[in-house]
Order: sequence, then C-alpha cells, then structure tokens
Amino acid sequence: MKQDKGVEEVLEFVWSQRERGSNSIRELLAIEEVAEEADIETLRRMAGNNLIRMDGDAVVLSSDGEKLAEAAIRRHRLAERLLTEVLSMDAESIEKNACSFEHTLSHEVTDSICTLLGHPPTCPHGLPIPKGDCCRKTGGELKPILQQLSALDVGETGRIAFIVSNVHSRLDKLGTLGIVPGSSVRVHQKRPAFVIQIGETTLALDPEIIKEIYVKKIF
Amino acid sequence: MNHGGSKAREHDSGEWLVLVGNPNVGKSVIFGALTGRYATVSNYPGTTVEVSRGTARIGGRKQGIIDSPGVNSLVPMSEDEKVTRDILLNENIGSALQVMDSKNLRRSLLITLQLVEMNLPVTLALNMYDEAGERGISVDIEKLSKTLGLSVIPTIATQRWNLDKLSDAFHHRAHSESVIKYPELIEDGIRRIEALLPQARISARSIAIMLLSGDATLSGWVDKNAPGRAGEIEDIRSGVQTRFTDPVGYIINRVRLKTVDAIVSDVVTQEKLGKSKLSTVIGSLSMHPVWGIPILLAVLFLMYEFVGVLGAGVSVNFFETTIFKGFVNPWAERVVALVFPSGLMHDLIVGQYGIVTMAFTYAIAIVLPIVGFFFIFFSFLEDSGYLPRLAVMVDKIFKLMGLNGKAVLPMVLGLGCDTMATMTTRILETKKERVIVTLLLALGVPCSAQLGVILGMLGAVSFYATLWWAGVVVIVMFIVGLLASKVLPGESSDFILEIPPMRMPQMSNIALKTLVRVEWYLKEAVPLFILGTLVLFTLDKTHALKYLEAAGSPIIVNFLNLPIESTQAFIIGFLRRDYGAAGLLVLQKDGMLTPVQTVVALVTMTLFVPCIANFFMMIKERGLKAAVLMSLFIFPFAVLVGGALNFIFKVLNVSF
Repeated sequence: MKQDKGVEEVLEFVWSQRERGSNSIRELLAIEEVAEEADIETLRRMAGNNLIRMDGDAVVLSSDGEKLAEAAIRRHRLAERLLTEVLSMDAESIEKNACSFEHTLSHEVTDSICTLLGHPPTCPHGLPIPKGDCCRKTGGELKPILQQLSALDVGETGRIAFIVSNVHSRLDKLGTLGIVPGSSVRVHQKRPAFVIQIGETTLALDPEIIKEIYVKKIF
Repeated sequence: MNHGGSKAREHDSGEWLVLVGNPNVGKSVIFGALTGRYATVSNYPGTTVEVSRGTARIGGRKQGIIDSPGVNSLVPMSEDEKVTRDILLNENIGSALQVMDSKNLRRSLLITLQLVEMNLPVTLALNMYDEAGERGISVDIEKLSKTLGLSVIPTIATQRWNLDKLSDAFHHRAHSESVIKYPELIEDGIRRIEALLPQARISARSIAIMLLSGDATLSGWVDKNAPGRAGEIEDIRSGVQTRFTDPVGYIINRVRLKTVDAIVSDVVTQEKLGKSKLSTVIGSLSMHPVWGIPILLAVLFLMYEFVGVLGAGVSVNFFETTIFKGFVNPWAERVVALVFPSGLMHDLIVGQYGIVTMAFTYAIAIVLPIVGFFFIFFSFLEDSGYLPRLAVMVDKIFKLMGLNGKAVLPMVLGLGCDTMATMTTRILETKKERVIVTLLLALGVPCSAQLGVILGMLGAVSFYATLWWAGVVVIVMFIVGLLASKVLPGESSDFILEIPPMRMPQMSNIALKTLVRVEWYLKEAVPLFILGTLVLFTLDKTHALKYLEAAGSPIIVNFLNLPIESTQAFIIGFLRRDYGAAGLLVLQKDGMLTPVQTVVALVTMTLFVPCIANFFMMIKERGLKAAVLMSLFIFPFAVLVGGALNFIFKVLNVSF
C-alpha cells in the first residue's frame, strides 16, 4: 500500500508535532510544508481512510496512521544521518535530499542503511529515530560502518563519526579533551572502567559516555 | 596543595607572570625552579588546587610569578579551572608562560589559542621534551614558533634543562594575532556582545567568546563590569544558539580543534615505535580488572609494612623509648627541677600533663616518625602515577555512593592529611560530590598521624584485629556515603579522568615534598598538641577532669566498656584525633586496654572529626552551617558505632 507523498508528509508532521507536545490542526496546517501539500479537505479524506482521527482542533494518529508515520519518520531521519555522516553534505542540501529520499526508500534499503550506520538512536538534530526490525535483530551479513565505541574490542581503534549526547556540558568537556568527530580513539580496556587512548592522552570514562560515541573502525 | 600560601609582595613591575597549562604538565616544577619556592609536585592531574605566588630574578628585575591550577579549557568546568580563569580575568597579568606537554601538543594548543585570543603576551615551554622523544614524537619548533608568532622553548623541567632560556623569553613579549575565524553567525554574535563590554585586561573579544559559549561562571563579572547588560548578552547568545543544533560552545571548540589539528599535522611527526616500555606495562596491569586487585593489595601491604611496622613500630620505639624516655625527659626534668623544684610550673613542663612530657613526646616521638614514614611512602605513590589508576579500579564502588572514581583522589590524600584533602575536593565537579567527600573525610578517613598510631596499636594486638577495625570503618563510610547520596539533593558528575603515564619517582622530589609536609605538620600540629595538653593540665589541676570522667562514665565505661582513664584521650580527640589516638596508645602500653577494648576505642576515635584545623577547613570550603551540621552528626554517631561494635563483640564473643 503506497501512500501518496502529501499524505505521508502530513502524517510525518502530525508525528513531529506530537514530539513537541502539540496536536492542534490549526497549527498543523499553518506549517509551510504542510500547507503546500494539504488542506483541511485532505485531512478529512485521511480520517475517512482511517489514518487519523479528528476531534475539534485536535488530531491524533490511528494505529494504521501511526505505522505509516513511524516508517516515514524513520526513513527521513536515517536519510539525514546517512547524508551527514557518510556523504558529509551541508545542512541545506541534506534537508532537500532527505525529503526526496524518504518517499522512495524501500523497507529493505532502509534497514540496510540503518545497519550500516550502526542503528543510530537519533538524527543529526538530536530527535529519536524509530527502531526498525533490523535494530531488534542482532547479527546479519552486513557489517555496520559505524558503531558505538563500546562495541569495539580492546586494542581496536575507531575514528569518531558523531557523539549523541543531550548533556551539553558533557560535549564541552569531551571537546576540551580532544574527543570530537574526526579524532581517533583506541580502546585500552573495558573493565573495571572504560579506558581509552587519544593521541598521547589516556582517559578513563563512564560507560554511558562511551555508548554515546559512534565510531568508524579503523583496521 | 600548597602549604605555604603567603603572598610574595615585592616585585618590580607590579605585573604578574602567570604559569598556565593543562593538568599535570609540570607547571609547579617550573614554578619551583624559577622562584625557589616549593609548590607540591605530583604525577596526577589536580595537584594544584590553590594559587601559589613567588618571585624570580629575571634579568636583574624581580618578577612576581603565579602558579595556577591546570585547565583543559579557559571556559571552566570545575572550581579549580575557575580559579585559573579568574586569575587571567582579574589579576594584573603582564604575560603568560604556557607549560605544554610536548607529546600532547593537540590539547596544549587548544589553550594557546585561547590565550592568544585574550591578547596576552605568551611564551610556550614545550615541557617533557624527553618523553616526546621516547615516544617517537618530534616537534618542528621553529615552524611552530613561526606559525603562532610566539617564542617556543623545549624544556625538561624535572631536570631543569633549558629552564634558564625561559627567562630570555619574558623580555621578548610576543603578542600574536588571533589565528581563528569562527563561522560568520558566531562572529556576528561575538561582535555584538563585544560592543556591550567595557575595556578589560584581556581582550573583549575573548570574553565575548566565553559568554557566547554559555559560560555561567562569568555572570558575576558581567554584573560588576557591564551592569544591566546580562539580559542583552543572553538574548544575543540564545539568538545565535537557535541557528545551530549543537551547543555554540561546542562548535567554537571544534573550530579551535580544527585549527589546532592543522598546526599539529604541520609541525609534529610521529615515528612508529615497536616495544612498549616496562612502565607502560606496569601502568596497564595496575588498572587491569584482574591484575589490578593483587597490585592494590600489595600496595596496601607495603604501606602496612613501611608505615605501620617500620614507622610506627621500630622508629617510634626508638624515638619514644630511647630518645625521649632515655634522654630528653630525664634531662628536661633535671633542668626544670633546678629552676622549679616542684609546683605548678614544674608540672606544666614535665608533669603528667606537661608540655615536654606529654605534648612534645606525643608530637615528636610518636606522631612525627609515623607521619614522616607515611609521607615518604605516599609521595612515592603520588609521583608514580598510581593514584589515578586506583580511581579506575574503584569507580564502580564509588558510583554507589553518588560519586565516581575521581573522588578516590581526595580520599586517598586524606590518608595524608584530611585538612589538605578537604581543600582538594575542589577537583570534584558537583556540589553534591564535594559535600559527600567532605563528610566522608571528616568521618572515616584516618590521617597519616592517626593511621600510624592506629596501625602500631593494632599491630601489637593482631592482624585479625586490624581487619576488624578496617572493615568496620570502611563499611560505616560506605553506608554513610550510600545514604548521603540518597538524601542529598543535586547531581553526580561524569567520570572523566586523565591517566598520566607511570613514571619512576624522582628521589629529590620525594625528599623535598616529605620535608615540606613534615614542616607543615610541625607548624600545624604541635601548637594544637600544646593547647590540648594545657586543656588537660587545667582540667586536672582544677579537678574538673574527675568530674568530666564521672560525667562521661555512663558512655565511656558502660556503653563503650572502656576504662575511665580513656576519657582524657577522647577529650583531646576533639582537638586532634591523632593526639587522642596517641593517648590511647599510652594506655595500651600501660596494659590498661584489652584487645577488644583497643579495637572499640580505635573505631570510635577514627570516626571523630579529624582535628580543629580540619573543622575550620570544612567551614571555609563548605560553609559554617554544613560544617556544624556534619560535626553534630559525626561525634554522636562515632560513639554510637563504637557502642554497637562493643555489643556485637560481646554477643559474638569475639576475642583477638
């Protein structure tokens, strides 16, 4: 069941509005990208197809709509990650391309990208990426390009691709120690505490921080 | 830790030269070499938490020099980093000497760029030049100097190599143009904030960048120097922030690192070396999940042998029995008897509670040798680089107490002196952690003087008794820490700790450090010992001691099941617990304490607040209210634990 682009777009915006804590139809239709694709009539049609439910100014996703929205959001945000980390595009062209990517990616390709990137938990803007089947299964033929630093074995080295942390002070602190995307780190030991080497600096770090660091393994 | 603390007042220009750099790069060594004043030098980050000042003769002029705590960034993340930033911001700084770790140029240059941004004249000392060479790292000094427009001098501070060349550099005070351009959106924010700031000692641009990075510790400075502008500045900052997804401070830092990386790849060449050194292997083993534990136990055992047996046993015996009982006291009695054959003055000097017979005997014959031995051992540990590795080993346990492995540094320092250690809690990042560690130090960590006396007494009982004492104290501290972490509000911080390389300690530094600490002990402790003796003397002569003993007897005799004479040990234990412990030692030697009583008395005494000086330090670091509350908790709690232990021994019918 392939939905048309406009419907998918609307579902995605209902989803991301919900992340921000809003369910207002008025606010939804006021968003530029939504207004381009849809109006109140589109919403009514979608309600008729049992994708959303409307109640006054409030809009919620039905279970069918929820599934479609989740998949679309996942494709969009994974595409953003792919374009940022692997192709190093700038912010503007990422947005443009991610939008067209998300409507064409098949389920299999989406999962492959997800695996390739090491099942990233968030998009470059820090918003959560919904989990797919591939994230729940472990193993498989495709070796991820990116993985959490904690997944490296003792003695292995990785180049930092990105750090997902919601704690700003943590990013700052790591930054002053030279732990930023682009730096190479070597895992010195994992127990009793994590110890890594970066250049001639040896650092002991919390395992929670190690999990936030995504690296590309260097052989 | 700085035991001096007096300010050097006289120097010619009125402008200070400040030593700055990353933690553990050798600033204090260079400070010592330039000024001839000793600032404590160790091999772990965070040794200097206080500012030392001194003067040096440079080219016939007296130059005031400041040694600052190490920083990784001039946007402070902890209290000791703030100390350094505030020096640069508020003091009359003429120029900066940045001490760099030659093998770690990347992190050093991150600070250099910030100093240059401040528009300070900077000289760079490429320190530990030998270690870089050993690791196959070579730095093109000329190129580095040219790129930055600053003079760069390779040094090996511990060997004093090239330090004389540093003084030349102070004459050619090189300023340098800032080499960094930030993204235009950020540059725009910098310009707009800059326009709101007054002239300052350091460039307004650098302050604007700090403010844009979201440096909350600057709010005091803004209120004072740009009153009423805080709101506008925050508006600009949040305006810039909305244009980026990452925090602005992080972006700024990344731009700096990019610049640094370009410089580093230009001037540093790394040669691959095959074999790892023995010290590297030992360093790795000492934090290995399996091998680390026997190594820790071996270190503890060595400490017991060196401090407890050799220090507290052999040398105390020699000093107390041979020197004091054999020579000093009889001689003092003879001399005093010539002047005051009897009476108050006679007793005051050589009586039962006499200044010579009690205060000096305790301080010099019993405690001093122990403290000396402990400091030698401890300095060796400090300089080897073992302590941060210990932090790795205990991180998980400390997590349960709302702390992380880093907290082991002040705790272990507490084994040297709790007062100094209380000050070192500054290296911890959150207030909650500092409060918990201050409490645990005051409650359970025995300082060297006390530890030595205790080990000596327990050694005379049995190793089994030592285990009971240590076990009870550790468990009590753990439980109190666990509860405190639940009760106290606030956050715990991330465990991010730099592990320095293992190094062979330099004997000269160990000797010097031990001497400085012993001198400090004598200055700090002896007056209190005399005061304590005077208190006892007065109580005894006015017969108040009898009343106090009678008043204390329900607790001391019934609850703790100790002889009534131990009351006086506990009274002076209020002043210094090592003095109290020394009193217990004398009781034990006179055969007045059974083994079980010894353990109960020692546990109780260990849990007392360490000393008056420690109490004052608690007030200084944590505030009067917190210090008083902690003490009000600690003393009754100590007695309670002692009583409970006595009860347990009785029920279980334990004997040693």
